[in-house]
Amino acid sequence: MTSAAPAPRIDRFGRIRVAPERRNRAVPVFLVCAALAAVASLVYLDLPWAKLASRAPDLGDVFWKLGHLDFARWELILSATRETVCVAVLSTFYGMLLGLFFGMLAAENVLRVPFLAPIVKACFTFLRAVPTPVWVLLMMVCVGMGPAAGIAGLCVHTTAFFTRAFAQSFEDIPGETLEALEATGVGRVGVFLNAVLPSALARVVAWVGMRLEINVAECAILGMVGAGGVGFVIANGIQNYEYGTAGVAILLVFALAYATERLFVCLKRRLR
Amino acid sequence: MPPDRALPEAVRAERRAYALFFGALLLVVALCTWGVAFNPFELFGKGDAFWTFLSEDFWPPRIPQREGRLEAILAGIGVTFAMAVASATVAAVLAFLVALFASERVSPFPRLAPLVRGAATFVRNIPALVWAFILFSSLGIGTGVGFVALTLSSLAFLVRAFAETMEDLSQDGLESLLAIGATFPQRVAHGILPSCLGGFVSWYLYSLEVNIRASAVVGMVGGGGIGLVLFSYIKAFNYHVAFFIILLIAALVIAVDWMTGRLRKELAL
Repeated sequence: MTSAAPAPRIDRFGRIRVAPERRNRAVPVFLVCAALAAVASLVYLDLPWAKLASRAPDLGDVFWKLGHLDFARWELILSATRETVCVAVLSTFYGMLLGLFFGMLAAENVLRVPFLAPIVKACFTFLRAVPTPVWVLLMMVCVGMGPAAGIAGLCVHTTAFFTRAFAQSFEDIPGETLEALEATGVGRVGVFLNAVLPSALARVVAWVGMRLEINVAECAILGMVGAGGVGFVIANGIQNYEYGTAGVAILLVFALAYATERLFVCLKRRLR
Repeated sequence: MPPDRALPEAVRAERRAYALFFGALLLVVALCTWGVAFNPFELFGKGDAFWTFLSEDFWPPRIPQREGRLEAILAGIGVTFAMAVASATVAAVLAFLVALFASERVSPFPRLAPLVRGAATFVRNIPALVWAFILFSSLGIGTGVGFVALTLSSLAFLVRAFAETMEDLSQDGLESLLAIGATFPQRVAHGILPSCLGGFVSWYLYSLEVNIRASAVVGMVGGGGIGLVLFSYIKAFNYHVAFFIILLIAALVIAVDWMTGRLRKELAL
């Protein structure tokens, strides 16, 4: 019998080495670098640890007060929550419509106008890189307070997100499908409507679900930077020492985010 | 309809599912439009004001000339970046330790695992900004509190991500380690770390990307850094400088996204 197994490698302590040879050496180097960067950052930030620690007992106090839920102003909280949900849904919807349009422009394989796709992609990379609250603040300057500013501001970031996601989904469609349709004389927009969009539909739905989840969370914080909605109730409640009201609103935000997450987890399971 | 009948059952079922989904979507959108009395055409009516704002108030970006202003902005960018790196890393280390107790397969106390996961779910589903507000009211405002708020929310997110990475791991290796009497630290060091480290690093990079954006936002409500600087310029109607800062934030975010993308490729995750 020939033994197929190579002779065991024995290290200097007489132990058999079993660790796999092909281990990724870059990962430990990266981990050390990340740890060093974190330490450097903490030194640069120079956080007042002693002050933070001395105030830590107050934290329990605040949670204690938040826990004393006060339902006296539930009408205000409910109407604010309704506004938040509506803004989240509408911004996702209009973002989806715009995203489909710009996704078509940004996909390399749909219109094939020279330089169009890279330019559109670059523009939306910029729009995506700026945090949503900044857009909402600027929209509030333009169109005034109210849900319109929230919807328009959220739409900017949502559209940019969808443009990239949809363009990627469109580009993943095999070229043969498009060529076959084009050979029959269908125009480029026709190909998009009849071949690209239907075959990317499943992914479009998945992206919309994911973004709705994000937008619900984003929407809840918009009130804190000065727009309306449930975030305003939370910020106002905490600043005016109405902790009970803020506690109810925070629980509602949690319930909302959790329900959206569960809903889409269930949907994804059923679709699979 | 004859052409529909010709289609196989699976295709028809798929069409029904999509019709149902988009029908429900339209219904919800109609309800919401009614709920906030939003008229999309109203925005088009304000197109002129919008354009004036963009072309006159906003464009071009201006670097502030006053002594020390530019330095303050650059320092703000530095603080935001440092806050994101530090909070993501501290959260990743803590999340690794917590996640070991959040997975029934790994934890030495499987009974407690649902409790740990539940706590993480609760913290994760409340946005970072809400945590920041709660912390501000007790700890005061400042960079330190922004750092704690960011760490808290990324900790909760990473606990879930790390625990799921560990759940995906094949059970055989862990079981055989258990069978030969390996202790809990040994199981972690030899059973989990070698196969999950790549996944952990990938999630860590993701939370770094998220934290860069979040730290700019947390700054706006009092967490310090570039967000606070930007907020004060917007509140002072100094939009040219605000645009300059927005460009800087975008550059920072794009640079970090590019860096994490490169790292993912280099580390072959």
